[in-house]
Amino acid sequence: MTGNLVLAVPSKGRLQENAAAFFARAGLDLIQGRGARDYRGRIAGFDTVEVAFLSASEIVTQLAAGGAHLGITGEDLIRETVPDADAKFELLAPLGFGHANVVVAVPQAWIDVKTMADLEDVAAAYRAKRGERMRVATKYVSLTRRFFAASHVTDYRIVESTGATEGAPAAGTAELIVDITTTGATLAANALKVLDDGIILRSEANLVASLAAPWGKTQREAARIILSRIAAEEVARTTREVSARIPEVDVEFFAHAEVLFAARPRRHLTDGWLTLACPTTKVPALADWLITQGAAEVTVSALDYIFAAENKLYDRLLARLG
Amino acid sequence: MGEPSLALSRAASAAIVAHLEAAGYPLCEPPILQKPAPFFESGEEIRSRLYLTSDPSGTEYCLRPEYTIPVCRAYLASQEAGQPASFCYCGPVFRYRSEGPSEFLQAGLENFGRLDREAADAEVLGLALDAVVSARGPKLNVRFGDAGLIHALIGALDLSPQWRRRILRGHAQEKALDAVLAPPSGSGPDHSGVLAALEGTDKQDARALVEDLLAIAGISTVGGRTAAEIAERFLEQAALKSGSGFPAEQRAILEEFLAIESDPDQASARLRQLAADADLNLSLALDRFDARLGFMAARGLDVAEFRFATRFARNLDYYTGFVFEARDDLDDKPIIGGGRYDALLRALGAETDIPAVGAAIWVERLRISENAGWWR
Repeated sequence: MTGNLVLAVPSKGRLQENAAAFFARAGLDLIQGRGARDYRGRIAGFDTVEVAFLSASEIVTQLAAGGAHLGITGEDLIRETVPDADAKFELLAPLGFGHANVVVAVPQAWIDVKTMADLEDVAAAYRAKRGERMRVATKYVSLTRRFFAASHVTDYRIVESTGATEGAPAAGTAELIVDITTTGATLAANALKVLDDGIILRSEANLVASLAAPWGKTQREAARIILSRIAAEEVARTTREVSARIPEVDVEFFAHAEVLFAARPRRHLTDGWLTLACPTTKVPALADWLITQGAAEVTVSALDYIFAAENKLYDRLLARLG
Repeated sequence: MGEPSLALSRAASAAIVAHLEAAGYPLCEPPILQKPAPFFESGEEIRSRLYLTSDPSGTEYCLRPEYTIPVCRAYLASQEAGQPASFCYCGPVFRYRSEGPSEFLQAGLENFGRLDREAADAEVLGLALDAVVSARGPKLNVRFGDAGLIHALIGALDLSPQWRRRILRGHAQEKALDAVLAPPSGSGPDHSGVLAALEGTDKQDARALVEDLLAIAGISTVGGRTAAEIAERFLEQAALKSGSGFPAEQRAILEEFLAIESDPDQASARLRQLAADADLNLSLALDRFDARLGFMAARGLDVAEFRFATRFARNLDYYTGFVFEARDDLDDKPIIGGGRYDALLRALGAETDIPAVGAAIWVERLRISENAGWWR
């Protein structure tokens, strides 16, 4: 099978900028055709990759239909649009941008409602009293149905809402909402609160592979190179090199560093200088610990790329393609 | 054992309809294109399986997802509305299923307006079983429950309204009693301090206080609930949380009740014993239960072969009394499901409650084989 690998990326807005920046960090420059209105492009240096600039929902559609091999899109859209998403896609990597949660939010005045169990109780009482079901305004119809069913909430009715969902309770068109939120500020401004266990999905932009697309030799090779660069950048982004000089380390030093902080040794010089690679999140704790071990100073540095012989992203894709 | 062929399904359908028509259940044939609103009201679970369409004027329709609501509507629109009447049906229904085709054959019967409910219950069960036999279907195992019993028990126990509500809903969902009786959970600030402060004060006063607090915050009606409702439930929840939990004596009675599962006569005896031991008056519900068994036996049904379980609910909140299921003896697939739904007709627009009981038969699951039945 010959043919190009099709990479679908968002065509506008913050997602586009973030996606372009993401590929650029991995050394992959997206080149859009003549002018901003051209919706086809390529990656500098790749002859076998075609870039399709599409709307977020169109990206999901193309990935599901196999019209694109790889794409960047939010997990919320993937899970809302495609019933059995895990069977059709491989979510290769979360990208660290486009963060948003899909949540269940009720009026703040409902001081008696904190959990989905409360909501279930209130919804049943509401229906028993009024003979009507509580209305839930949302554009996430499928996610809402699945989540509510799992929480045994059955006495509700969805009112589809395409915009300004958070205003529905105040406008009297719904009792509660399911919507996407980044900071919660919009919800608060509308006197709504998120239920304690009402987070349906923590979504962020993902690099997604379509399992329905035709994966021939050419496409696989293109994917391998793209994914190895992305992995190299991702590993580097989530890793820091931590250096310190500890004159005398005990025998269990490196074992402890690995168990406590997932830190692996990179260098250890005879004069006591040592360098560890450590996940970004554990850096402060590791630094504290190194000081207790006798370091006078701990320096931390970021890396641009960490290329490895093992290509985890590509291996994951291969495992799914069979 | 694949799906039966079209010809066999047709033959089975014809046999079922012939049998039910001969028993005084004329065929009702509601259109395949239905107004979707009544199905929307049946909850999101049904709604998510509907096939929706619209005509050029924009009027919405759905493909008939089941027969009960369309047959009820046909009955309510007829001259016979409110009077005893019964119907059978048979044809394709359309419901999204992730496995198997979403268009499948369903047959069944509905019985409306009969005040001798227990006789009607037995009649519907008996006819549905006979109809499957007439279609040369498999041997079936019958299991049934009775929502009337748990309602009577909950009514007789001295319980607060919120516990009644929780127990009845938990029962309809076939949840374990432990899960139903667990105190409300939830992280975040709890209001037990407020409650402790309010404890001992008059209920009315406490409610007025919470309502006042909501009024100060400028809240009268939010999200369709009134400040009074919010205040009342807030106090209820807080009381449940700070209270000593569900009373042990009542819990023991409920546990014993929900453990009853046996042949119906033995179950009846145990239920009467339980009522006597706990000094609860359940005689009305128990008399109905026994009367129904009597009507079943009078029809020639082998009641001793049936299984009764107090827990059995089929997870559909519209069943209000007798509820049953008949499964294939070999592969345990449900073949018949049905029960009493006395509240539905009113919800569909009837002016008063009209008794109703019915059953649906999965024609395509009958496992009819080319040569089965000739030797029977």
